[in-house]
Amino acid sequence: MLSRVAQNLYWMSRYLERVENVARLLDVGLDLELDAPSLRSEDASSPVQIAIDILSCRDLVQTRHAASDRGELLDFLTFDRTNPQSIQSIIAVARENARGTQESLGAEAWSAVNRLYLRLRGRRALKLYRASPTSFYASIKQSCILFDGHLHNTLPRDEVYHFTQLGRFVERTGVLARVLYAHCLDLAQARGDAEIAPRSVRWTALLRICSAHAAFLRFERDRVEPISVVRFLVLNPDFPRAIRFCVGRCRESLHEITGGDDDEYASEAERLMGRLESDLRYIDAGEILERGLVSFLDGVRITTDRAADEIRRSFFLG
Amino acid sequence: MFDGYRLTPYDEMFEAPGRPRPHYASLLESLVELGGEELARRDKLADLTMRQQGITFTVYGRSSGVERIIPFDPIPRLISAAEWDRIERGLKQRVRALNLFIHDVYHRRLILKSRVVPPELVFGASGYRRVCVGLNVPRDVYVHVSGIDLIRDTSGEFLVLEDNCRVPSGVSYVLKNRQVMKQVFPLLFESYNVRPVDDYTDNLLAVLRAMAPAGCDDPTVVVLTPGIYNSAYFEHSFLARQMGVELVEGRDLVFDRGQIFRRTTRGLERVDVIYRRVDDDFLDPLAFRPDSMLGAAGLMGAYHAGNIGLANALGTGVADDKGIYPFVPEMIRYYLSEEPILANVETYRPLIPAHKSHILANLEHLVVKAVDASGGYGMLIGPASTRAEREEFARRIEANPRGYIAQPTINLSRHPTFVNGRLDGRHIDLRPFVLQGEEITVLPGGLTRVALPEGSLVVNSSQGGGTKDTWVLDHAPPRPAYHSFGNPHA
Repeated sequence: MLSRVAQNLYWMSRYLERVENVARLLDVGLDLELDAPSLRSEDASSPVQIAIDILSCRDLVQTRHAASDRGELLDFLTFDRTNPQSIQSIIAVARENARGTQESLGAEAWSAVNRLYLRLRGRRALKLYRASPTSFYASIKQSCILFDGHLHNTLPRDEVYHFTQLGRFVERTGVLARVLYAHCLDLAQARGDAEIAPRSVRWTALLRICSAHAAFLRFERDRVEPISVVRFLVLNPDFPRAIRFCVGRCRESLHEITGGDDDEYASEAERLMGRLESDLRYIDAGEILERGLVSFLDGVRITTDRAADEIRRSFFLG
Repeated sequence: MFDGYRLTPYDEMFEAPGRPRPHYASLLESLVELGGEELARRDKLADLTMRQQGITFTVYGRSSGVERIIPFDPIPRLISAAEWDRIERGLKQRVRALNLFIHDVYHRRLILKSRVVPPELVFGASGYRRVCVGLNVPRDVYVHVSGIDLIRDTSGEFLVLEDNCRVPSGVSYVLKNRQVMKQVFPLLFESYNVRPVDDYTDNLLAVLRAMAPAGCDDPTVVVLTPGIYNSAYFEHSFLARQMGVELVEGRDLVFDRGQIFRRTTRGLERVDVIYRRVDDDFLDPLAFRPDSMLGAAGLMGAYHAGNIGLANALGTGVADDKGIYPFVPEMIRYYLSEEPILANVETYRPLIPAHKSHILANLEHLVVKAVDASGGYGMLIGPASTRAEREEFARRIEANPRGYIAQPTINLSRHPTFVNGRLDGRHIDLRPFVLQGEEITVLPGGLTRVALPEGSLVVNSSQGGGTKDTWVLDHAPPRPAYHSFGNPHA
């Protein structure tokens, strides 16, 4: 397949995954603040702050807005077209990428992205947002999932499909690592606090940010304890928003794309992701906490970034 | 719905006030039954469908809203089986002659030697390519895809307004209009026996595969687009998708050891046939415009070596030049020894002194066109022009008589069109699409373009034109349910 098309598909998929995650973060963030007034959007582990990190627009937020007003901050992250990292801007770029690959994506998937783009530009989007931010963010998440559904149900499992999967799961691995990292850093600093209630609220929030609360309760049959949350979100092989699951999908798609033997790898990116996957397979949660969760997560993020760099060098135009 | 409908010749639907032409009777009845409100609702639905599917084009030279949908009019244009038969024969004849002309111009030049076409017009044409002299193309086919614009004059006669032999666009709208029409007016559609259009892309792919380099059994075909900012990008993508081939940009292609390759995730892979939607000038920066980013350096090398098929062939612009247009009927007589089935619009050429004085004296009644422009750009419509514009064109014609032609303002036929909640007559034309591979086939119907502003004669989408679905009827039209269908003004 054409390198340019592969590149467009990969980035389109990454951007839509990013949008979906940011929409979820902002939504949970709003909800948390209503629930627990002790949490504020300035805290480093607050979902809004994580969203700013994922969008890498902290500098912009600081220079353009005092970030003192929550409403203004959310507007800036959601609608501001002068912010190249706002949800609206990212969707516009994802759509440009999709427009350049319509013939591979298929008419329905393309139309799904196009409709999301058109809807977000309309006046009704702003009205819905003002009336109920939760419904608004939910509708964005739904559009992203609808798009993914089109891909899953209409694409043959060839390179087109695998480049979209690769984009999605590279992005998701990075987002998960960053979300967990922000939480743990915050908790490490707050160690010694005897307040159990807000801590448990935060770990629950973390699960909700990852759409993992219900699945967690079913799997772990446990109170929301740090060790079980880490076990679930980092090491679970079957939950689609666990790091191990995502790394596994990246490796799988890379393997399908390069088409090597089953027990050999054919690109540096595949080697990096394969290595990380086997680490995640054989380590247990206790050992991660013992070694230090923060540095472990940082390692995951660095490996993922390196793999992304290798993907660009091996498959894309420039 | 037909309140205040003005009948001016030639009206496509009515032969007299309240009396529809036989093949329109059933349609008229259905429209009246639907009523204005329902029609408006479905019109909106069609519009929404187009927008959501991203069926857009790009308008150049305007800052606001680069992407637009072409307005779609829900009232279909009907062509009877007998009318179409004549059009189809006329188009095949014309395209055959144009193709022979291009081959002749780049080889023996018999038509120039016999003084049927003045050589200075050919060599001075902006579409003439010296690099093509002596170059042989597969099956001697140059014009694989053409769009021949037809209009109807006040007597109802179909005339050829211009030929498009380079990269005619619009066929995707024909196919999409049909899809949308079937969704929005399923019953209306069913009652007529309309000839299908959806095998166009299959036929196009067959034409493209047939021009693969010798010895290539399973050729790789690609569509070459200038990119997503091109006005016809939707069409390029649509055609690639419908044919199941890759859509490439210039930067995806590389030239190596006489062949063209595309850059893929598994390295370089060979390309055999390019359906190029990029103008000659931009195809190869080494051979033509060195600043072009849209083509592939070395493409001409591969073309000369016979390693790549190009559709349309290079240098076809010499045949659709507006300066050559007046000579097409002569070409048909010269190459085919036949009388032209479809006539030209009467055309004056400033190069002939008598014509020039006629043009300059009658500018306010004429349409003046620059020979190397298209898409409704660079023309003067006499009756709608200001004195200053006419003086400007008079100056330009004096300075460059080779650069212009003039035609009488023809009152294009009018067709009921849905505007502002009711039906009103608007001027239309027709662009049928002709494919030429092993044989010549014509897509039944084509793109009916409609000038939406009242009284306007400019149908180009870049100038605010819309489109209609065009139904070529197979056999006899259905009879209306009520024979005593009354006066629509009532």
